Amino acid sequence: MPERGTIIEARGLTKTYRNGPTEVRALRDVDFAARRGEFVVVLGPSGSGKSTFLNILGGIDSASSGSVLFDGQDITRFGEKALTRYRRDHVGFVFQFYNLVPSLTALENVALVTEIAARPMRPEEALDIVGLSGRHGHFPAQLSGGEQQRVAIARAIAKRPDLLFCDEPTGALDSATGVLVLDALVEANRTTGATTLIITHNATIQQIADRTLRFADGHIVDEIANATRKRPGDLSW
Amino acid sequence: MVIPPLRRKAMRDLRRLWAQALAIALVLAAGVATLILGNGAHRALSETRDRYYTDYRFADLFSDVVRAPLSLVEDMRRIEGVIRVEARIVKLGRPEIPGLAEPASVLLVSLPGEEGLNALHLRAGRLPDATAADEAVISQDFALAHGLQQGARLVVVMNGKRRALSVTGIALSPEFIYALGPGEIMPDPRRFGVVWLPRPALEQAFDLKGAFSNVVLGLAPGVSGAGVATALDRLTAPYGGGGATGRGDQISHAFLDAELRQLGAMVKILPPIFLLVAAMLVHMTLSRLITLEREQIGLLKALGYSPVQIARHYLEFVLLIAAAGILAGFAAGAWLGAGLAELYARFFSFPFLVFGTDPRVYGLAALVTALAAVAGALQSLRAVLALPPAIAMAPPVPADYRQSGHGILQAIPLRQTGRMVVRHLWHWPVRTASSVLGMAMAVAILVASLWSFGSIDHMIHVTFGLAERQDVKMIFTAPEPLRALSEVRHMPGVMAAEPFRVIPAKLVHGTRSKRVAVEGRSADARLSRVLAPDLRPMPMPADGLILSEALADAMALRRGDVVQVRFLEGKRTVVDLPVSGISVGFMGLGASMDLAALGRAAGEGPRISGANLLLDPDATPAFFAAAASAPKTGFLNVTDLTVSRFRATLAENITLMITVYVTLATIIAMGVVYNFSRIALSEQGRELASLRVLGFTRHEVAGVILLELAIVVLLAQPLGWLIGHGIGLAMVAAFSSDLYRVPFVMGREVYATASLIVLAAAILSALAIRGRVDRLDLIAVLKTRE
Repeated sequence: MPERGTIIEARGLTKTYRNGPTEVRALRDVDFAARRGEFVVVLGPSGSGKSTFLNILGGIDSASSGSVLFDGQDITRFGEKALTRYRRDHVGFVFQFYNLVPSLTALENVALVTEIAARPMRPEEALDIVGLSGRHGHFPAQLSGGEQQRVAIARAIAKRPDLLFCDEPTGALDSATGVLVLDALVEANRTTGATTLIITHNATIQQIADRTLRFADGHIVDEIANATRKRPGDLSW
Repeated sequence: MVIPPLRRKAMRDLRRLWAQALAIALVLAAGVATLILGNGAHRALSETRDRYYTDYRFADLFSDVVRAPLSLVEDMRRIEGVIRVEARIVKLGRPEIPGLAEPASVLLVSLPGEEGLNALHLRAGRLPDATAADEAVISQDFALAHGLQQGARLVVVMNGKRRALSVTGIALSPEFIYALGPGEIMPDPRRFGVVWLPRPALEQAFDLKGAFSNVVLGLAPGVSGAGVATALDRLTAPYGGGGATGRGDQISHAFLDAELRQLGAMVKILPPIFLLVAAMLVHMTLSRLITLEREQIGLLKALGYSPVQIARHYLEFVLLIAAAGILAGFAAGAWLGAGLAELYARFFSFPFLVFGTDPRVYGLAALVTALAAVAGALQSLRAVLALPPAIAMAPPVPADYRQSGHGILQAIPLRQTGRMVVRHLWHWPVRTASSVLGMAMAVAILVASLWSFGSIDHMIHVTFGLAERQDVKMIFTAPEPLRALSEVRHMPGVMAAEPFRVIPAKLVHGTRSKRVAVEGRSADARLSRVLAPDLRPMPMPADGLILSEALADAMALRRGDVVQVRFLEGKRTVVDLPVSGISVGFMGLGASMDLAALGRAAGEGPRISGANLLLDPDATPAFFAAAASAPKTGFLNVTDLTVSRFRATLAENITLMITVYVTLATIIAMGVVYNFSRIALSEQGRELASLRVLGFTRHEVAGVILLELAIVVLLAQPLGWLIGHGIGLAMVAAFSSDLYRVPFVMGREVYATASLIVLAAAILSALAIRGRVDRLDLIAVLKTRE
């Protein structure tokens, strides 16, 4: 079993940006911590700040104030190079629209990451975890939306990340396909021990999490720990 | 005025894509400029020449005689087709010019009569009084070279006697647009000029009262010169006629003609390259733009705009770019054209230069350019307009890479980013090929212009380093017996002297004939030598001729063939001689023989036309002084002066040409690279931003685009070398004339330089793209679908 200590922690995280004449406060003084291997679902309406939160934790956006400690290091103080290094070695991303490289096959899309990662698994192994062992040689154009998203998950976990961040991973999928994708995420979390944060509009999904955060107006308004986690197969929406 | 929304959109698109639009417009401008420049200069030169010839009654036939009575003129007038006859006295004289080390020469020409042929264009002053024995008009370049003005005094030694002339005017003549001294290959206005005098003065000086030494004929339009020449030769033969020549063999005309041919070749080669590349660029850019605008096009159709209206909108966009290119091209073409015309005016002596703007050339340039741009745009438009609005508004299906070299690539060990690059290139074969071809054209233009440096060095090395190694070639006023050589040998500073004899002759082989000067050398000549194709000196055969490659080609003669030689001087013998060898030579049509064999063949015994001399460098001034006062000295060809003038003139022309070509090639290279990378970036921006999120460094991500670019640029190099080589060969063929042959010397350094220039242009463009890669918006990528 993975160790249960804190892997990532946000303190007083604030993000303000200007949108024309108005100042928008996307995040207001957010405090958060996640343990190694924890599975967290982040819920909230559009514009509640959940994506900004995830982006700052993932090292692709900067905070206006506050800090994000990864393994004790404050990534908000990182420069461009250190942030790239951080994403490369520790963070796996899954996007709503898969963002696969259309000119690479499923296996090659995964290999894209394993080639640059410090301690990757074999690409085939990653595809096995998400249940796509039979689709190695297929190009994105030959795969369904759900399959493409599972390739994206395989690509994200193949580096054995410490953190797996998923922004609306089922947003573009129907319910049955979405369940398959969630299955893959749960399996990935179980196998790799990566702390997993999933952003979603879909409240049903919180049932598979260890913990659920609810965002509104740039801060966490609610936090619920699940005593028992459901399997994705038991969900439908 | 209300601007329709679609037009406003076209303007905004243009502002947004300004850099790409500019790159395309510049390539179009380059095409337009070369078209206007080339056509304009060609037209200017040929129209100037034509008008000059007509207005100043340039003769059609030219013939030298030793001494013929003026009564012969009436017989000449009776030859059918002849409308004007001008019997003249034309002789070489030696001007005394203080401070000029090397002796100069002037061609003394009797003034044409009223309404006569080869009329003078007075630049200053007046014509001499017809009865004055000491008045003269001198040619403009010679006057400028020595600061001689109207009223100046000029002493000329004529037929051994000094005569002081008073310069009454400065003039130009259609006969001396390009004024070359005897045996010279480059004009040198310091050492050669033309002096026109009233006939009585020359009659007296050369003892030619009631006689003439040269005749020129004007023919009725459409009359064949060959027929008249034969009749004329029959009349002049008893008087030492050297055979009539047409304009084609008249030096000044022939050089102008060669220049016109070169320009004509340039007009045919360059503009099509630019227009082709520009059409490809427009096609590439617009097809990408239209792919990006797919949704908007669907929306416009859904709103009720007709396909014609939408097509018009995009064509407007293209035509705006084309218009910018055309206008810039007009300006550049006119500016460069004026520069070129100025260069011509300096090089050729014209009284005026017709650099009229031919609206047809401008119209043609505009039309061809607009068509190239529109053709580039239409194809991409057609595809999108065919889509029903609903489908157009939906995002395009992801590109299917199954066919993109999947199988082959599987076998090659590549990093995944490398695979991305190769598959992307493979997936858009037309675009990749157009970009490769575009870059190759940039390389080709450079290869096709840069080779000329090596070629000129080679020409100079072979001609003056290996073949004509004398310091001075002394040409006598008239052929002399061989003993004249010993007088020359005794002149101060002469370390070695080798005799030569030049006899004009007509070579006939089957239906082909050429008028050439057959040059006789002693068998053991070491100063002026004939070289074999492997550049080794060829010994003079006992009898038989050695022909230059150019002459052998023109006459379809090979070694061992027999050619009829009709000598046009002295006893005018006609002999059949074997072709004993073929030599290299870049200047003129050469035919060489052994000196004694030539004397025998011409039936005149050992006579010489002059001597090739090796001089003691310390005694050169003494030699020149002695030569200037020696009565036999007709003209001196000074090798060092010839070479330096040759280099200077060519350097000026070539520097201008190379500057233009390098600029144009850089424009093409930057245009292609910039557009190609912008398109690649726009297509793969999303993928590249994803790579950044996945942990790829900026460096690695930029590497993907740059690798793609590098492959295109590298593939283009050998292709460009090949195309450039081909263009170079075509240019050699187009530039070769009876006057000179350009050796095709293509060294590795030519390819290397061309590639380096294009690579530098590519790197500059790539740097501009690099900045865009660094600024990719990572967050937008996560939120949007394409």
